[in-house]
Amino acid sequence: MENRSLKKVTSVWIITILVLFLASITLGIIMRFNQGTQLHLKPNTFYATLTTHGVTMIGIWAAAGLVAINYLLSRYVKTSAGLSIFALVFTVIGVVMLWMSTFAGNFHAAWTFLYPLPLAPYAAWKAWATNLFLWSLVVFGVGWLVWSVGMMAQILRNYSITEIFAWQHLTGKEPEKKTPPFILISSVSLIGIILCLLAAVVLLVFFFMEMYTTGVKNDALLMKNLTYFFGHTLANEALYLGLAAVYELMPEVGGRKKFGTTWYVALGWNCTMVFVLTAFFHHMYMDFVQPGGFQIVGQLASYFASLPAAAVTAFSVATLVYRNRIKWSFTNLLFFIGIIGWLIGGVGAVIDSTISNNIILHNTLWVPAHFHTYNAMGNVLLCLGFFWWAAHDFSGTRDTFRSHWPTLTLLLIGGFGFVLMFYLGGASSVPRRYAVYPEGIANGAPLATAAAWFAVVYLVGMLMVFLTIIRRCTKAFSPAS
Amino acid sequence: MTDHKTLLWIFLIAAVLIAVIFIAVYRSSLQAAEDSPGLENPKRKRFFFFALLFALLVILLAVTLPKSPYYMHADETPAEVVYVRAEQYSFNLSRTEELSYDDMELPAGKVIEFRVRSKDVNHGFGVYNDKYELVTQTQAMPGYVNRLRWVFDEPGTYHILCLEYCGMSHHIMSSSFTVN
Repeated sequence: MENRSLKKVTSVWIITILVLFLASITLGIIMRFNQGTQLHLKPNTFYATLTTHGVTMIGIWAAAGLVAINYLLSRYVKTSAGLSIFALVFTVIGVVMLWMSTFAGNFHAAWTFLYPLPLAPYAAWKAWATNLFLWSLVVFGVGWLVWSVGMMAQILRNYSITEIFAWQHLTGKEPEKKTPPFILISSVSLIGIILCLLAAVVLLVFFFMEMYTTGVKNDALLMKNLTYFFGHTLANEALYLGLAAVYELMPEVGGRKKFGTTWYVALGWNCTMVFVLTAFFHHMYMDFVQPGGFQIVGQLASYFASLPAAAVTAFSVATLVYRNRIKWSFTNLLFFIGIIGWLIGGVGAVIDSTISNNIILHNTLWVPAHFHTYNAMGNVLLCLGFFWWAAHDFSGTRDTFRSHWPTLTLLLIGGFGFVLMFYLGGASSVPRRYAVYPEGIANGAPLATAAAWFAVVYLVGMLMVFLTIIRRCTKAFSPAS
Repeated sequence: MTDHKTLLWIFLIAAVLIAVIFIAVYRSSLQAAEDSPGLENPKRKRFFFFALLFALLVILLAVTLPKSPYYMHADETPAEVVYVRAEQYSFNLSRTEELSYDDMELPAGKVIEFRVRSKDVNHGFGVYNDKYELVTQTQAMPGYVNRLRWVFDEPGTYHILCLEYCGMSHHIMSSSFTVN
């Protein structure tokens, strides 16, 4: 019964996330058409759209990873459908509050809401909208924090601290109790998520202290560090949750032996945990008042975070497939292409995280270029792989890819074409987050229009995925089943 | 400093290389026999791959870190100091800490120090050349002064654009100066 409840809530999560994703892609397309001068939104409407798009996208794909591990964890430990429902309710309420603050209240301080912009005295939005926006983040945060802590607590009931980090594997000898890679990656990622959500709590408390008490002024540099520790870490940990699903499902779906934890897998993921928590400093390179040591740590952590990623995860996936007979399904193709997208986005990120490059790339379109690559063509596809597998597994439908080649082609052409326009924009010094480009930024508008059309192609592909998944989920829980 | 086009080419070559390798891996799977042994000596190959990547990253760090903007012209005395005050939605450039409404002209080939601050929210001080290529930048943060040292080799008009989102007129926040 519990398993059926878990499947049901997982299905509702999947449909909710996909509906919000389709809506947010549409917002993105509207913005790119506006930048391409095909549409003419008021600037404050454009920036309200930008804010909605950014927060919704980061939120739903972090939630998607949590949904995936919450379901798959039930193979190893007892997981709670109730906590998942709790987080779902909080997420939906948070989304309603967020969209009201931006579209009804016109709040448009972007997903970064860098202090003190939300409190700016001449802000062009309603005062209540600032409150509603910040409280929507509180609602998201409470839902996910309780959920993440709940999952971590369940893991710790079955595995000790040493075991969740797989330290017993570091000796190279066969340990008495093995840690499955899925448990290791889920634990490492959940710890990161809990830490960055706690940073968000501190950030929001500082905002509220200034808003609701008199005489308190916050420090802009500290607030910026907190913002990026929270936002950057959440986005990266979300990706690792997607990778946990790949480790768990890809060999299984492909008919191969499961991945095991070895000393280098254990070491790689422990290093990743440390590096990813300090890589956010690369967002602050252009704040020259930031202590110099942090800037160097930012580049070191950003570089070395890529080492375990490439040498452990990507190499393991390549080894799984290379000259091995795999049962290819749409699920595995999504996982496989998601890994490629993640690696390509990673290259763009490493280039940007080099301080001497960042001075000519920071806050140009190179930034959305790399994070859209490892999100839209990386994490989204990894989570979509889980969604696809779950929908077919729940409904008992065979997962093949033969009839889905057109869908995949649309996603590939649309997705990679879309991000390529961002990279070309970044290389042409086009600034990011501009409602309209100045006359001198000649490449901005044509690249934006081309990007919007590629995004339309991606949207059509995603709509086809959504329709298949919703059919399967409906079949799984129809009264006849 | 590496220019935009070089960075784009480095990225594109790496991206295509990754795609080609993974497509080859995928195709090898389609052609594999049922009892195919897969990759031979995977541990050894993984070690070499790791070592190669590690060496590449260490070399890149050694080459790029000294070129960080914090160390540029750090030991030199600037020929000119320009005080930049950013506020929603304008920049003011002055030779003193007081506001100035005169056109700013700066010498080519000499160290200029920009002391960049903000009156209200975070802004970005992005300096573009007359072809609208981003040359250098720093942030303007309330309560802090960011000091950017730069030598302009090419004379001409330089445009300043805001490179940190600061509100509804962010995209029209601009200014300019001339280098002779």
